[in-house]
Amino acid sequence: MQKIISAIVADIGKILLGKEHQVKLALACLLSRGHLLIEDLPGMGKTTLAHALARVLGLSYNRVQFTSDMLPADILGVSIFERDSGQFRFHEGPVFCQLLLADEINRSSPKTQSALLEAMEERQVSVDGETRPLPEPFFVIATQNPLHQSGTFALPESQLDRFLMRISLGYPTREAERALFQGVDPRAQLRQLKPRIDIAALRKMQAMVAQVKASESLLDYLERLVQHTRQSPECSVGLSPRGALALLHAARAWALIHGRGHLLPEDIQAVLPSVAGHRLQSEGGDGARLVERLMRQVDIIAA
Amino acid sequence: MARSKELLPRESLLWIFAAQFVALLPHFARLPLWIVCAWAFAIYWRLEVYRGRRDLPGRLVKLLAITLAVAGLALSYRRWFALEPMVALLAVSFTLKNLELVSRRDAFLSLLLAYFVAATLFVYEQTIPYAFYGVLCALVITAALAAQSGSFSARPRRALGLSAKLLAQAAPLMLLLFIVMPRLGPLWAVPQDASGARTGVSDSMAPGDFTRLSKSDSPVLRISFDGPVPPPEQRYWRGLVYSHFDGRRWSQGFSVDPRQGAEVEWNSRQQRLPEVGPRYRYQVIQEASNAPWLFAMARPLSDTRGVGETADDRLVKKTPVHSRFAYEVRTWPRETLTDAPVLGDAERRRNLQLPATGNARTRAWAAEQRAAGLGAEEISRRLLNFYNRSFVYTLNPPALGADSVDEFLFHSQQGFCEHFAGSYVFAMRAAGVPARVVAGYQGGEWVEQEAYLLVREYDAHAWAEIWVPGRGWQRVDPTAAVSPERIRDGLQSAAEEEFMQDALLPLHRISVFNQLRLQWDMINYRWYRAVISFDSDRQQNLLRRLLGEVSLARLALFVGAAIAAGLAGALLWLWFISRRTRPPLAIRLYQKFCQRMARAGMVRRPGEAPRDFARRVREEKPQLAEVTERITRAFEKAAYCEDPAAEQQLRRLLRRPLTRYRTRKV
Repeated sequence: MQKIISAIVADIGKILLGKEHQVKLALACLLSRGHLLIEDLPGMGKTTLAHALARVLGLSYNRVQFTSDMLPADILGVSIFERDSGQFRFHEGPVFCQLLLADEINRSSPKTQSALLEAMEERQVSVDGETRPLPEPFFVIATQNPLHQSGTFALPESQLDRFLMRISLGYPTREAERALFQGVDPRAQLRQLKPRIDIAALRKMQAMVAQVKASESLLDYLERLVQHTRQSPECSVGLSPRGALALLHAARAWALIHGRGHLLPEDIQAVLPSVAGHRLQSEGGDGARLVERLMRQVDIIAA
Repeated sequence: MARSKELLPRESLLWIFAAQFVALLPHFARLPLWIVCAWAFAIYWRLEVYRGRRDLPGRLVKLLAITLAVAGLALSYRRWFALEPMVALLAVSFTLKNLELVSRRDAFLSLLLAYFVAATLFVYEQTIPYAFYGVLCALVITAALAAQSGSFSARPRRALGLSAKLLAQAAPLMLLLFIVMPRLGPLWAVPQDASGARTGVSDSMAPGDFTRLSKSDSPVLRISFDGPVPPPEQRYWRGLVYSHFDGRRWSQGFSVDPRQGAEVEWNSRQQRLPEVGPRYRYQVIQEASNAPWLFAMARPLSDTRGVGETADDRLVKKTPVHSRFAYEVRTWPRETLTDAPVLGDAERRRNLQLPATGNARTRAWAAEQRAAGLGAEEISRRLLNFYNRSFVYTLNPPALGADSVDEFLFHSQQGFCEHFAGSYVFAMRAAGVPARVVAGYQGGEWVEQEAYLLVREYDAHAWAEIWVPGRGWQRVDPTAAVSPERIRDGLQSAAEEEFMQDALLPLHRISVFNQLRLQWDMINYRWYRAVISFDSDRQQNLLRRLLGEVSLARLALFVGAAIAAGLAGALLWLWFISRRTRPPLAIRLYQKFCQRMARAGMVRRPGEAPRDFARRVREEKPQLAEVTERITRAFEKAAYCEDPAAEQQLRRLLRRPLTRYRTRKV
């Protein structure tokens, strides 16, 4: 079990050099049945990460490039009249897959965004009055460009909340970049990746996440963290119960990835920036700095 | 403007105005209307200033306002050194201060003044509802003070909550100060306005004029007995003696009012009353009557300071009773006194005085009795029989003409106590028997739970006393001859229909309501006994009971003990709270470890996870790294895996000082 996870991380690490932490976060997000938002500049390897994950985990993979003129039907699918049979037939859209890469989600109009986000939440699609379930597991990796770039529609807070984590990859280290220059073309490598596990194993792992033990002392810490975000004058909006729950789930997955059957405060600290960063709001400052202060201020041991 | 930065924000102003309103509200009825208007105008102006439509008044306007205010006060009151003008002056200055309410300092000044204004309420009223109102004032003013510190704390719920918390915390201190603070006498006496006098008993009575009998049920006296309680027929609370009759009006007459030189024994210890115990000992709590006379049964004696005894067996107070007054009385009923009574010539003349003419028929009847050579008691009996045969007790008798006694005795034959007492005394005097009218209260309602007698305004009564040679003054109640139930059961039941005909609702028929009224009076009585009448004597008594002896050292010890008890209570409370949220054992052990590490120079940062800390220890203090590692592992297992064995291990690891591990390692 631990071996498989290490192998998965290593496989992706071969392509996405020096981004082990982010890869693990993405994996944790997947294991805790959440969706992932990657926010970064173009060309940082967002797509590569998604694609590599899909291949290693053996998931069916679709990619949608969001544009401003996109309509919901372009994602969900559309019923088309077929002259041969004289009937409408539903043509599934790209959303019908196990891992959907929604590239540059903030380029599309809010209408389209919300169609996808609804599918993410309900794990089903309603078209023409008919409800169609999405495949299991269903995992969305959305990427978005930083908002100050032109031609983007910012996702509102309520929709950001649908994503379990928001991570950014960042520039590679010097060594990683040098290795990138010297190495083989990542695309070729990607094609060579073999699935490490099957769907059943993935499901089993997802079930194991829920069994990771969270002790009283740890829940105390979690409670203190959440209370701090709600009471501190720095945060204008604190963590919602859903946010707190997301934090706990993600931390459990993180503990599982690290081969532990119980949660440590470090697990929470490891996932906190990516789980809470896009959920907290502060006056003036950005979420990341807020989370950093939050981690420093809230005592792990006692209040 | 340099000052604009510290200008008061809107919430501050609104809070100040609210505090002012609450403090001034009870005074609105007493103050002249123009002060209320001035207050409203000052607030209007200040709000206009806040909106930027107007400037703060200049020096000239302020001077004008002050002049107007002083002139207004002078015109409204015409005298300065009385209580009401002083309160009005305070209210006016309070009002004018709004015109220069600029900085935070002004706000505090105004609010502190508001406390003072709120306190003046108790100069007038000391009853329970006003006490509650006083607490409300303190609450609002304190909230206004709390609200001055900023927008967040100016929210009503927050400010009031903080204020309530502060007041609650101050309550024990208040109690302590209430008990130990020396009761100073007033530094100067401010004469109080006596125009509002109202009482069931006045300094004269004119039975013929109209029915002035008070139907008010407000309490007048509350009498609690130490020892036996007199039977109902003995409960005559004498207040005034009317010796002078001018043909229409009975009054005290010349030289009876103590201030006009009557004989009053202020220092009653040299009284010629027998040593053998008095029959009745009691304490009377009298409501404000704005008159000097007090009420007690015949042959009273009082040790209370400022109370004297007159020659006609009454008690008077040196100064009028402006607020509730409590006095101790001992009474020797006349029949128990054995010394031979003597009636001086002047006294005899005074009590035989009659106008030269008028009421011829009564005089003729009296002369007849006198000619028959009857004794005083026989004449009295005949007169009472006469009353008993054909008179009617009513609260609404017809008005009487010029010869009021004649008309009453031989025509109308309807009346209440004043008519009976007046006509009786007239007839007795005409028959040559010294007699006088006595006014006061009769009876009272016995409040069982608290064991006191409640006397109300409508218990006011008038009766007579005649001089019987060899036996002295004897009380005769002519009303009893007509309406014995008036004496036995009180006015209310004797003339119930008449008594209540003005009442809107027949509440007197509902016993629950009567019960409630008595309950309320009982609460009032307790309030008075416990709070209002807590003067320096009672304070000394209480302190003596608490401390044994009142000395500075003991007092200091008492205050210190109270404060220490308060602090100990707070400490206990804190401990209790911390105990409730006590962290689990593993956490406490790890905290102990952190303390030791801190002493060794490694302070764990709050957000630092145990493993990160261990890593830092390895870098900065390698000699402690191994033990730290072991403790961290044990702690993680104990706290996050909830493994009891690891907890034991952690405890074992911490039993030895960390340095021991170091020496072993090195």
